[in-house]
Amino acid sequence: MENEMTVGASNGEAFLPGFPFVKTEKLIIDTDPGIDDSMAILMAFQAPEVEVLGLTTIFGNVTTEDATRNALLLCEIAERPGVPVAEGSPEPLKGGKPRIADFVHGPDGLGNTCLPPPKAKNIEKTAAEFLVDKVSEFPGEVSVLALGPLTNVAMAIKRDSSFATKVKKVVVLGGSFFALGNVNPAAEANIYGDPEAADVVFTSGANIVVVGINITTQVKLTDEDLLDIKQSKAKHAKFLGDICSFYRNWHVKSDGVYGIFPHDPVSFVAFVRPDLFTYKTGVVRVETQGICTGHTLMDQGLKKWNSSNPWSDYSPVSVAWTVDAEGVVDYIKRLLMKY
Amino acid sequence: MARKIIIDTDPGIDDAMAIFLALQSPEVEVIGLTTIYGNVYTSLATRNALHLLEVAGRTDIPVAEGSHVTITKGTKLRIASFVHGADGLGNQNFLPPSGKPIELSAAAFMIEQANQYPGEVTVVALGPLTNVALAIEEDPAFAEKIGQIVLLGGAFLVNGNVNPAAEANIFGDPEAADIVFTSGADVVAVGLNVTHQVVLTELDRAKLEQSNGKFAQYLSKILDVYFAYHQESYLMKGVYLHDPTAILAAIDPSLMTFMEGVVRVQTSGITRGLTILYNRQKRFGEYTEWTDKPTSKVAVTVDAPAVVKLVMDRLMES
Repeated sequence: MENEMTVGASNGEAFLPGFPFVKTEKLIIDTDPGIDDSMAILMAFQAPEVEVLGLTTIFGNVTTEDATRNALLLCEIAERPGVPVAEGSPEPLKGGKPRIADFVHGPDGLGNTCLPPPKAKNIEKTAAEFLVDKVSEFPGEVSVLALGPLTNVAMAIKRDSSFATKVKKVVVLGGSFFALGNVNPAAEANIYGDPEAADVVFTSGANIVVVGINITTQVKLTDEDLLDIKQSKAKHAKFLGDICSFYRNWHVKSDGVYGIFPHDPVSFVAFVRPDLFTYKTGVVRVETQGICTGHTLMDQGLKKWNSSNPWSDYSPVSVAWTVDAEGVVDYIKRLLMKY
Repeated sequence: MARKIIIDTDPGIDDAMAIFLALQSPEVEVIGLTTIYGNVYTSLATRNALHLLEVAGRTDIPVAEGSHVTITKGTKLRIASFVHGADGLGNQNFLPPSGKPIELSAAAFMIEQANQYPGEVTVVALGPLTNVALAIEEDPAFAEKIGQIVLLGGAFLVNGNVNPAAEANIFGDPEAADIVFTSGADVVAVGLNVTHQVVLTELDRAKLEQSNGKFAQYLSKILDVYFAYHQESYLMKGVYLHDPTAILAAIDPSLMTFMEGVVRVQTSGITRGLTILYNRQKRFGEYTEWTDKPTSKVAVTVDAPAVVKLVMDRLMES
């Protein structure tokens, strides 16, 4: 940490060189914590230029109820008890029991760390209400980092027709572009969790950046990186070490990877350090039927279509195309090892 | 000994090239053409197949007419007349052929030949896969008896050419394609990810025009419409050699490399016709629609200059 200035702020925060100590980026994190969600949330709290307006919760790695509990716990762990947590939808847009990936994150979503219940409670507003209210309160200033299925964001778009134009940016972790999925060969888990919602979001006309697993699986925190974090003097070193161990063991079993894919932290980096990625723009649609349900398909614009098709006439979104993996790992480690 | 091939085709400008190329290739013996809709309707495909064999002086080769509808009896077909001209052969107003198709249907002909020469016949399918799927459905032993099915179809990890999701041949009959890919036959797929790398340039076309080769001469005339379509749709001064590349996958597979895996075809929704190859590199915790299905081989790289050269050389030699 020798390069880091620790002089600082009244709230005890350090800041990274090169960034002004001004909270300029208002952010709501829509999340299903989740081990890598927890890492991303702690990073957001540590990033000097980011003002976390609140967390909204969704099913995915855990049920929405457990996501709310874990979000509240994370605010306590980060000593940010004032940050509101708004509970989101318990089920996808079309209804039915959501798919929960507890085999990846443990039944509690935090790698079986068995934390006591949080003291604080979620606010009265639903996630969609909170998203709409905050975006209306600060039009053009609030970004959303969506780390789970897109139900809440789609509900906000449906609830308020001006949401898509008022939200500054929506950074989505989801999809797999011209690459295999992780639920099945066609689909990535977040999009698969609510394909209808994802299609609503991608075709909403909002300023959208999508980070798919074709990008996030290029970034790896190796066992050595994890050890660096665990042995650092960072405030959350022990907690991070504890939760990552379950996640890491699943990666070894599933992918033969000795380390972890930090999907959610990479998406947070795409929000705060967009310069570490390149993008392609094109219309993205999501399949909602058949064996490829949840498949994200982008029109790269290489052909002039001679008739209209389901991609015609929608606004393009930015799809992360390449990543400076080393730069992203450095940035993740710097934020997580900050004390 | 030359390998026996049946070309299932919807001629089609690049189909014409592929058929001539096969007739010029000593590695294979063309034992029949079967017809299908796609670039044109099936009846016109039959007429064009007979015409092309007459141009080649090979009226000894039988033509068997294929299905006029999809495997699910669909009659709303997508016909790519804007790519190949209303007659499928570059609007040249050729005289009708004097020959006739044989009595057998395309599927029945494929089954007959597979039974007569078990393991020795390759079907090269250049259009929608209805006929091949019908053969598989009509004869449970067909998948095992047919030597190989080399098909032009799909877009693996790239955009399609009918729409962003789907390639034209698979889009033409996705249900049939899924039957073929999961049939257990020895299936080799050559998709847009490979054929979009194989481009015949205007310079190549000028060479065809200047050569004395009979096929080269014929093709240089019908290529106009095909070049115009590529200019319009892809802003390029050249044409993709889809069908000739697929034929060469049967003639000389060393020009390409292949990845083996399970291929499934999406048959509904906005991505109808999407082809997804699962190469088993990643393990999934749950049962998927790709689990425990027979595999196919999918072309992933191609020596494009060698393919273009071989096509040119053989057409100019004619």
